[in-house]
Amino acid sequence: MLKRLFILAALVTALLSGVAYARTFASIQDAQKLMFPNTKLTKVPVTFTDAQLEVIRDRSGVREPERGDQIWRTPQGGWFMIQQVVGKHEMITYAIGINPDGSVKHIEILEYIESYGYEVAEQSWLKQFYGKNVTNNLKLGKDVDSISGATLSCKHLADGVKRDLVAYDTVLKPLK
Amino acid sequence: MSFLPISAFLGRALRWSLAAIIFSSAQSYAGEGTFGWVTSLDLQPKGELELEERLQLNQNQAVGTYQLWQSRTELSYGLTNDIQISGYLNASKVSAKGNYTTCATFEKQEGEPPTNCPYTAGYLVNNGGSSNAPYSNTQYDGISLEAIWRITNPVTHPVGVGIYIEPTFGPVKDEIEARLILQSNFLDDKLIVAANFVAATEKQKWITNEPFLESMWDILAGVTYRFAPKWSGGLELRQHNDYASASWNSAKQTQTAWFLGPNIHYADKDWWATLAYRRQLNATNCYSWVNEGAIEGGEMECSSRYAWDSHTTNEFLLKFGIPF
Repeated sequence: MLKRLFILAALVTALLSGVAYARTFASIQDAQKLMFPNTKLTKVPVTFTDAQLEVIRDRSGVREPERGDQIWRTPQGGWFMIQQVVGKHEMITYAIGINPDGSVKHIEILEYIESYGYEVAEQSWLKQFYGKNVTNNLKLGKDVDSISGATLSCKHLADGVKRDLVAYDTVLKPLK
Repeated sequence: MSFLPISAFLGRALRWSLAAIIFSSAQSYAGEGTFGWVTSLDLQPKGELELEERLQLNQNQAVGTYQLWQSRTELSYGLTNDIQISGYLNASKVSAKGNYTTCATFEKQEGEPPTNCPYTAGYLVNNGGSSNAPYSNTQYDGISLEAIWRITNPVTHPVGVGIYIEPTFGPVKDEIEARLILQSNFLDDKLIVAANFVAATEKQKWITNEPFLESMWDILAGVTYRFAPKWSGGLELRQHNDYASASWNSAKQTQTAWFLGPNIHYADKDWWATLAYRRQLNATNCYSWVNEGAIEGGEMECSSRYAWDSHTTNEFLLKFGIPF
């Protein structure tokens, strides 16, 4: 009886406290200003062909396709993209800025709706991608540190950044 | 050939059949349960707690009525990122009436028919034998402890491997169950293939004054696919083997049964739920043997290539979890 009361009390406490909660982080506009302050961004929607998507998938190992509908370019040749990867339960949406030389400038998590692992949105974890380019390996556990309770999210974000860099290398860079 | 008295025979038959049944109810659940019965390697992160409740209904035997509700209330905690510990509180409710039709087998083996046919029997039906009166009982079954060690993570390795151990103590049975868990993820971890190799040995205590030893060997296999955000669905297969000994003695195997059915899973950041169904396939084999002139074994628990005791044609499972 005492065990049952304890479990019931724990359940009620969890429900009343809201348990885990969703987080929407920066807006697209906020992320643009953060990554490219005082810079006019021009939206450049890209329609990836099936052949391009296949190349990106083969080179990155990520099946979730690169999105082309939310891509911007700076006058200096930098890029700003909104992309998604598969999360534990829902899609993880993030913004990634790419320098004119093809390296990662900055990443902001825009939406993460999971029970655990909100640390993936912290710059202390994301900064390990900065400066990486398409030639760098980004394997979780070898090249990229993981976060307790968010292994799947960390892996997919690392793979997603690789996918974005491959997309830049194969499709965006030739657009210059 | 000598024959046992009816009461003794029924007692043995009940024990053997029940042994098989009991093991059919030996299941473990930990972390987010994408599957119904298959244990995956999705564990609680270090320092995180989850409450899980599971309700299983076994119903529909050859004739009459038999319904077995089993509840397991679980708290799981991530001791490290790869070791999860849990505690369960187990309870059950059984209702049965005239559900056993193995009267012909009984008569063939014992030379005389049971007192009443069909008669009331099955797992947790502690009615002393051949009565066909209705039986119903609700009880506290015991507590279970559980530990899972994830040796390799399927998210970062081609094959995830884990070891599971679960002791159970209580008025119904004392049991030790171990599992080898294998899991591989594909298609951005949306497609999960998993298998459990389950061994359990136990002392059944729910028949008054007649504790007996049994063992079980199961293979569980399943596949689920996340077909939409928050939603996944799949299929699970179970091959179940019972032994009327504590050490998987093949000479005392009582039955081999097969189960197959679908599952569907919904997961939100605050909670998750899984609904699963499996049906016993019409492919069960039951076995008997002669011991000191008397026929013993599991055939009293079977008819028309189905196994009864705790087994039924339909098994439903609902479980939900709340991460803290």
